Amino acid sequence: MNEYRILIIGGGPAGMETAYQLKNLGLNPVIIERNDKLGGHLAQWDRLFPSSDSAETLLEKLKDQTKDIEKKLNAKISNITKEGNIFHVTLSNGIKYDAAAIVICTGFDLFKAEKKQEYGYGIYNNVITNAELEDYFKTHNDKRIDEPKRIGFVHCVGSRDVKVNNTYCSKVCCATALKQACEIKDEFPYADVYCFYMDLRMFGKGYEDLYLKAQKDFDIKCVRGRVCEVSENIEGKLVIKAEDTLLGTPMKMTLDLLVLMCGMEKSKSSNEIQKMLNINNNEDGFIETRDNFSGLNLTKEKGVFVAGACTSPKTLPDTIAEARAAAMEVFNYLKVNGQPSLVQ
Amino acid sequence: MRPIFDPFVLPFVISMTFVLLYCIIGMIRIIFQLPKEDRRKFLRSLIYPKSALKNFRDLVNDCLFHTKIWKRKPLLGYMHMSIALGWFMIIIVGHFESITFSPLRGLEVPFMQKMMSNLYLPIFFRYFAIEELSLKAQIFSFLMDFFLLMIISGIFIAVVKKKKPKKVGMKRVTKFGIKEDMVRLSLWTIFPLRFLAESSIANIAGGSFLTKYLGFELVFGGNYNETLSMVFWWLYSIDLAIFMTLLPFSRYMHIPAEALLILLRNAGLKTTEPRKGYAVAEIYSCPSCGLCIDVCPMSEVKDNYKNTAVYFIRNIRKGKRRRDVKNMTEKCLMCGKCIEVCPLGIESLNIKIAQRKKTYYKIKSDFSYLERLQDYKTTRPQDDLSAHSQKTLYFAGCMSHLTPKITRSMTKIFKLANENFEFLDADGSICCGRPMMLTGKINEAKALIAKNTELIKKSGAKKLVLSCPICYKVFKEEYQLDGIEILHHTQYINELIENDKLNIDRSDKRYAYHDPCELGRAFGIYDEPRNVIDNIGLLTQGKSDRDMSACCGGSIGSLTMSMEERDEITKNTIKDLTLNQPDEIVTACPLCLKTFARLSPIEVKDIAEIVVEGLEG
Repeated sequence: MNEYRILIIGGGPAGMETAYQLKNLGLNPVIIERNDKLGGHLAQWDRLFPSSDSAETLLEKLKDQTKDIEKKLNAKISNITKEGNIFHVTLSNGIKYDAAAIVICTGFDLFKAEKKQEYGYGIYNNVITNAELEDYFKTHNDKRIDEPKRIGFVHCVGSRDVKVNNTYCSKVCCATALKQACEIKDEFPYADVYCFYMDLRMFGKGYEDLYLKAQKDFDIKCVRGRVCEVSENIEGKLVIKAEDTLLGTPMKMTLDLLVLMCGMEKSKSSNEIQKMLNINNNEDGFIETRDNFSGLNLTKEKGVFVAGACTSPKTLPDTIAEARAAAMEVFNYLKVNGQPSLVQ
Repeated sequence: MRPIFDPFVLPFVISMTFVLLYCIIGMIRIIFQLPKEDRRKFLRSLIYPKSALKNFRDLVNDCLFHTKIWKRKPLLGYMHMSIALGWFMIIIVGHFESITFSPLRGLEVPFMQKMMSNLYLPIFFRYFAIEELSLKAQIFSFLMDFFLLMIISGIFIAVVKKKKPKKVGMKRVTKFGIKEDMVRLSLWTIFPLRFLAESSIANIAGGSFLTKYLGFELVFGGNYNETLSMVFWWLYSIDLAIFMTLLPFSRYMHIPAEALLILLRNAGLKTTEPRKGYAVAEIYSCPSCGLCIDVCPMSEVKDNYKNTAVYFIRNIRKGKRRRDVKNMTEKCLMCGKCIEVCPLGIESLNIKIAQRKKTYYKIKSDFSYLERLQDYKTTRPQDDLSAHSQKTLYFAGCMSHLTPKITRSMTKIFKLANENFEFLDADGSICCGRPMMLTGKINEAKALIAKNTELIKKSGAKKLVLSCPICYKVFKEEYQLDGIEILHHTQYINELIENDKLNIDRSDKRYAYHDPCELGRAFGIYDEPRNVIDNIGLLTQGKSDRDMSACCGGSIGSLTMSMEERDEITKNTIKDLTLNQPDEIVTACPLCLKTFARLSPIEVKDIAEIVVEGLEG
């Protein structure tokens, strides 16, 4: 056993995959996770776009890969100091590690839908978020979803929106919305389902097919235009105002359920760690990488690496690919700068 | 025997004649540019004893004592008062003195020459006078010296202000070109030169503590030198001439223009044309003091100070290219802080709106729906109440519909207060008309106002409660809803609390209150929201509040301000508000609320929300 460790902060898909690959490369990673279980947002999800594959299958696979790796759950980092190339890390429960490298995999937080007061989340009963709908698919336990006849999906909630200070695209919501729209239509075949979008960005493998399938097979109605206002009528039904920008007309409609596609914001859980490691954010609030091309896993701090959605919104395939790349970067770094003894 | 004329008075006499003619012609032009109705109103106001009395009071207070500046910045107030009042008194007392002790007494002088001599004698009295020892003469010379000293002390402060603005409480002062600097220099030197000229001759003409004892004895060492004395009299006259000749083309035009502005304003006139009539009087009345620069929220972004009221007015006056003026007009947030601090109360916002009226904006407005709309789909009042109590209308407005927490809270408050209320625009509102007003589209605004008026009157309610200060302003100013009381919900809630209709639990939560522009500065609603908060928790003090409260940055007044510029303003205002570590920011405007919520580190709520929390908690 080597005395120096590779510290993986965050036990979501990015952290688990990075740890697994580092282990394969003969290094000794340890995963620090603040929650009581691994998986991050993946553990909350039911099915994954574009093919509606089970999220649990992927999670189990990732868990299986990391079963021999040391993990610290319910753990927080309370202090990090750097001495030469070695990081001395102290956890909140007093455990100490000497790490040769750190990989930040803290991921994202979902945008807080309350911030868009005009959508009425937290005010009107029948306004829910994408995460809550996913939870419903898993548990079928949500009183708000009761045989809805008309369902609306609002894309870009907290994304591409100057008014909440998030000007970036969250990348995953378009596909998630169409996936969820198909799934809820499957559940309630007699419901009318509307998607209110600004642009549909179906860029990935299989996404365009999902879009066609949603329209052809599931009769999902896609309306290009933003919902501007949600209110409740006397019967407690939601009344939304939107604009169909293709027809150039304002529209008004009553709904039984409105799903807000909350976008991604960099997880606040990394703030403290960033302070300790002196790592800044970009203007969009995500962690700054060394460049935008070949240094995506590097930070300006030597020995500190990043992977996954903590640097920008990412899909799962992107995240996993980036985790593997990060492992490679760590390996190369140790070979040149770090502890050659670690890399045989 | 002293002479009764000397050529040195000529520069002054000629320039003074020029200035008087210029001002009279200018005044007549302005009066003729007024719309007919306004002109009649103005002339009538001059005759009515009540308005004449007000005119007199305002002229004395504003032109001579400068009470408005005193209130904000005492040192600057003194500076202006000493120069304005001192100069005025020197002219008045000087006239009496020169009449009482005229060197023409007992002389056979042709009538015309007598008249002409009245132009220069009071100004250069000492040159033509011989010392008289009567008590009356002594009192006169004491008064003249006293006011001269007063002016010189004011000029001393003016010099300090120029060199070190911070010493008199200003961060930034207006920047001037070389012409203005010259005029200022000529103004500053008039009275020191007068002092020297009068002192140099005090052994013959007499004087009091300043000119005779300090000036003649100390400065001139008790020696009279005729040539030297003549030099000073010439310099004094030439300096006056330079000032008078340049006055109409400099910011000092505000001295005569202000008097006219006060009269026009007291007649109840308002700007309707950006470069005619009333606006001209306002533009010439601007002394370019720059008090508006420091308070303007736009100055948060470095280069934007160039868009502040003082520069806007200067550009209009200079007849700068239409596009520059248009850009400045469109940038303004219309928060009205500049008017609040303006010592002359120049309502530059009205000039801006008049200017916007001149611009063609490509706004396609389709109001055909107004005709089709027969009634608002309101939520019905509770039946048991509707029979026996007066109906209260609630009009939320479009912005409050985007902040449903406000409309929810208000609905709850109405119910808890057992009010027979009707939520007029529950299903969506016709615009109040204010945004159209702000873009200068008065006719479009009028169409909206007419429809709303019709529907509101139809309801038969006696009270109208509004949640949005933007609506409130236009409802108060433009709507003719005779018999219907218009209240903003801060006022309404305050009324409920004072009448013990709401039982609120007081907590020890700390709240910072932000005064919305259109509620505070526009209508002076400062105490009602503070009373309400006092009943709910602790009110913390921000850096500046009430009439000096800063714009939230979200104002719909600006047509062109970018999000980045707005963010700078918002951040700064939040910083001011959170000075004393409040737990939450409270405001009473849905637009302020939304603007702050983007960038605030602490929670931002409407006053109605915290009232409901107090009721539940």
